[in-house]
Amino acid sequence: MRVGLAERALRRTALLLAALGLAAVAWEVYKAIGPEQGGDIFGWRIIPKTNDRVMPHVWEMFAEFGRPAIGSGDQQVWSVLLGYSWFTLRMAFAGLALGAAIGVGLAVLMARLRIVERGLLPYLVISQTIPLIALAPQVTVIRGTLGLPQWTSAATLAAFLSFFPITVSTLRGLQSVPKASLELMDSYAAGWWTTLVKVRFPSAVPYMIPGFKLAATASVIGVIVTEITLGGLRGVGFATIDYSQKVTSQPASVYAAVFAAAALGLIMFGLVVLSESFVMRKRSRETT
Amino acid sequence: MTETSEPIDVTRAVEVIGASMVFNDGTPARVAALNDVDLVVETGDFVSLIGPSGCGKSTLLRLIANLLDPTAGDVRVNGKPAAQARLDQDYGMAFQKSGLFEWRTAAKNIELPLELKGWDKRLRAERVGEMLDLVKLPDRGSNMPWELSGGQQQRIAIARALASHPPLLLMDEPFGALDEMTREHMQSELLQICAATHTTVVFVTHSIPEAVYLSDRVVVMSAGPGRITDTIDVELGGTRNEDTREKDAFYGKITEVREALRGSEMTGEARGIEDR
Repeated sequence: MRVGLAERALRRTALLLAALGLAAVAWEVYKAIGPEQGGDIFGWRIIPKTNDRVMPHVWEMFAEFGRPAIGSGDQQVWSVLLGYSWFTLRMAFAGLALGAAIGVGLAVLMARLRIVERGLLPYLVISQTIPLIALAPQVTVIRGTLGLPQWTSAATLAAFLSFFPITVSTLRGLQSVPKASLELMDSYAAGWWTTLVKVRFPSAVPYMIPGFKLAATASVIGVIVTEITLGGLRGVGFATIDYSQKVTSQPASVYAAVFAAAALGLIMFGLVVLSESFVMRKRSRETT
Repeated sequence: MTETSEPIDVTRAVEVIGASMVFNDGTPARVAALNDVDLVVETGDFVSLIGPSGCGKSTLLRLIANLLDPTAGDVRVNGKPAAQARLDQDYGMAFQKSGLFEWRTAAKNIELPLELKGWDKRLRAERVGEMLDLVKLPDRGSNMPWELSGGQQQRIAIARALASHPPLLLMDEPFGALDEMTREHMQSELLQICAATHTTVVFVTHSIPEAVYLSDRVVVMSAGPGRITDTIDVELGGTRNEDTREKDAFYGKITEVREALRGSEMTGEARGIEDR
């Protein structure tokens, strides 16, 4: 099993690198043959410009990491971005943790009381149509009133995005327990809480994992959008905005920031995959 | 809570008196699953419930287990109301799908009822060892369920059902999903286990030879509404083995049960009865 796991991880990494390589090739091919000043289709300006400001060479983007960052003295871009990333990652993690607590809590509540599910679920779905940008100011005001540190608003907004897939997948899992398992617990005269801990949760795990995967990346997006919307949080989202305003002097910096954001998403996703392989280590692979 | 101290009359393992079960009453989907059923199972008996799909044999088993409450009538187990018997865990249960929890090892699955009953950890381990020996899988305790064959999984499920020394075992087509060879083997094993543990068994099946081979009495049921139409005593002697299956008396009883089922067919259609 161990060997199989390592083998799969290796194959996945190879595929990921191959896909990245293909994207880089496509980028360079378009840059070589596409129109310098872009183009129109039916009067819409949608064909991207290929000049160095809009589409820098792939190697320029990577070289950017080694150059001094604008506005950060003689610090290099990679080191500045590393600092920003660590800041964003911690908030995203806090957001995921908060989202998981809220998400699982709501799922348990809804699984326990049918009436809560009927009444609450539609509102949860509607909640996800509210743009984060619209919520950010209110969250900041409430945070200020409660006297909490500034990063908590980013974590809260990240949780707002991440709780939803966790709630939906956990609820589905808690409700998908085979009838015979529940009858067995009934025959032991086990209470609802005991059945939840001993049967419903363990059998919900395979359903919960995809929800957590979605939530992990949503959490990163939540933090980045918050950084862009609210001032004062200096993470990767802030870097993206900051660098795009200075695009004329160092165009490839924006892409470096975007890479950092993507890496954060992958790290959060990877954390979930790691816990998956730990939690599911003894289960049959066919059952998932 | 674990032991009942007051002396009770336990001559009858199961007593069902005038039990009826109606699902979805008052709606167009109303189903009369059981109508005025009486059933007595003496302690130490092996009783099979057989009949076509929809005859209410599984429902009757669930009434005895108190997983369902009858809409009318009374169910008593070991002389107490079925609800109390369930609270006291007077019975163990095994289903067609072994229902082992895939996140627990075989040993941990057997341990579950003991855990819920609050047994001491050392006693639990000891009992699990005994049960693994009883079902002849002494070195499979650390395996996960998916690493076991269908027959082995069912053995673990039986071990789990019997772990807390219940005097009564309720089984709902436990061997239905097994292949024929494994099935016959498991039937003999079950008889040995029950003899060794003095367990009373109520066994739901749709296989006539299985019912005849295992039972002291075969209860024939019919559908629409579900009811008991016949009860056949099977006198094949206390010790049965593979030779029993080839005796004329065995075939005679099979024919008797089949005819009883056919008689019940006049009112309810006999679907899903296996002749094998």
